[in-house]
Amino acid sequence: MFTRGTLLYIGQRLVLIAFTVLTVSFGVFAVVHSLPGNAFVSDRVHGRALQILLHEYGLDQPIPLQYWNFLKGAVHGDLGVSLYIRGLPITPLVLRELSVSALLGGAALIVTIGLGVTFGVLAAVRQNSWVDYLLTSIAVVGYSVPSFVIASLGILVFGQWLNNLTHGALYYPEPWSGTYGTLAELSLPALALGFYTSGQITRITRAAMLEVLKQDYIRTARAKGLQSRVVVIRHALRNALVPVTSILGPTVIGVITGSVVIENIFGIPGLGKEFVESIFQHDYNVTVGVFTIYAALIGVANLAVDLVYVVVDPRIRY
Amino acid sequence: MATPLTSPPAVEYLGGTVAREQVSLARDALRRLRRNKLALVAGVYLVLLAVVCVISLFWTPYKPNAIGTCQTYELPSASHPLGCDELGRDSLSRLMVGSQISLAVGLATAFIVLVVGVVVGLIAGFFRGVIDAVVSLIINVFYGIPTFLVALALYVLLGPGLINIIVAISTTVWMDMARLTRGQAMSIREREFIEAARAGGARAGRLIFRHILPNALGPIIVQATFVIPIAILTAAFFTFLGFGVPPPTADWGGMANEGLPSLQGGFDPYILLWPAVALSLTLLAFNFLGDGLRDAFDPRQKR
Repeated sequence: MFTRGTLLYIGQRLVLIAFTVLTVSFGVFAVVHSLPGNAFVSDRVHGRALQILLHEYGLDQPIPLQYWNFLKGAVHGDLGVSLYIRGLPITPLVLRELSVSALLGGAALIVTIGLGVTFGVLAAVRQNSWVDYLLTSIAVVGYSVPSFVIASLGILVFGQWLNNLTHGALYYPEPWSGTYGTLAELSLPALALGFYTSGQITRITRAAMLEVLKQDYIRTARAKGLQSRVVVIRHALRNALVPVTSILGPTVIGVITGSVVIENIFGIPGLGKEFVESIFQHDYNVTVGVFTIYAALIGVANLAVDLVYVVVDPRIRY
Repeated sequence: MATPLTSPPAVEYLGGTVAREQVSLARDALRRLRRNKLALVAGVYLVLLAVVCVISLFWTPYKPNAIGTCQTYELPSASHPLGCDELGRDSLSRLMVGSQISLAVGLATAFIVLVVGVVVGLIAGFFRGVIDAVVSLIINVFYGIPTFLVALALYVLLGPGLINIIVAISTTVWMDMARLTRGQAMSIREREFIEAARAGGARAGRLIFRHILPNALGPIIVQATFVIPIAILTAAFFTFLGFGVPPPTADWGGMANEGLPSLQGGFDPYILLWPAVALSLTLLAFNFLGDGLRDAFDPRQKR
């Protein structure tokens, strides 16, 4: 499956990803550090005290030098220290948050692919029936309604109107506990996050299925008396999934950016929440660190999607 | 698009006409659009929204930013149909004014994207060669820039603001329009009527704007329609997080953000509900209209 060409391709892509991550992280770095002292603006320190503070955190050096120091640390897994809770090392903090976000993102991906593919297949199989119209409408609703609206409505319906019915199992006004019932705790945020991207997947799956179902080999499969379910799932869906994988890249990016909003609504202590807070708290070392991680994640996710492509469609070689 | 000089005579067959009168593409598209009920409803909604937006420029029931026009968290009543928010501001007035921001962001972004994308795309597609290579490179570079990065940079450097959001969205979505227009221009420039126009002495500028652009207009309009909801959605995303229009300006994303605590607290869901519904309906309407337009301009390409 993975020929030498593929491995070479992976290598090239990794170089490209590294280059992109460097460029993006330097961009953020240059922007947030272009106003020295901005980080301590809420502390109301001035004059000599500010100079000492800036010197202590190396913020009085030229930006390229600061970035070089940041890179030297980053290579060793050290993203520097927080400027808000001064001196707190960022790396362990960010890693813990990344694991929470990964859990949420993974659950959302399962939701989005599961919903999207199921709806798409059902709509295509029952083309031009009320099922089709209902599911395609839901898809449009999916990518039209902002995820924070879905999340808020979810809190309203499951957290308040149906609170007694669900025994509060789907609503977490309190900060994320992360101790027990993680699956139940994840369900609503993951649904709110996954629903948005599922709309596009429904659309693509439906179109691809309609295309495939017209093929001769499907008619052959039906003619030899296979059950409809077998024909749809084993013969048609497999080929219809090829175009679906092509939008997995944007889907992953959508889930990552969407998680920023969802984590803030549900109080989930993930990377997205930290990211927004760091900006408002002028904790710019954290901002740079998180953004760098995001850039790397998106790059690697896109590469992974391309490799999935190779697995799904053997005709594709790099 | 020129109307044909003569229409072919309709053939009488069993008392009914068989060959329909020949019509222009635009009129044909409009006729198909009118048959699409969903797109029609969406269009009516958007017209109503535009009317509300214009009215709110001159008149609102209460001053949108006036604090204490009623009790805080007042539930909907006759004098305040949508209730009041956490500072005692009239929700209906704020909702009306909020439409200005959403429409401004959507239309301004679509306009910028339309101008930049179409001009760049036409130039790349028409001249090809080195120019095309350079433009394609620029497009690919821009694809690597996340919207969040630009928005963040502008926020850190300039503070929160509407213009920053419009700039951030425009700089990261114009490429799709440019690519689409480039493709259209490349295929149209090979057609016979371009050859004919060139033989007639038309220069590049005339060829591009009088011959190629009008024929590429259908897909361009459809793409522009889809830019509007993307822009509104992204802007709402940023204002909801607090990077957009600064308070106290009424804006649907920001209103939803302000309403979140009272919804989570469980005592007044309406503050969040109204802007959320307005935003969702508007985005739905633009998407349905876009779908309708696409089907109308290109009836062969069914989803």
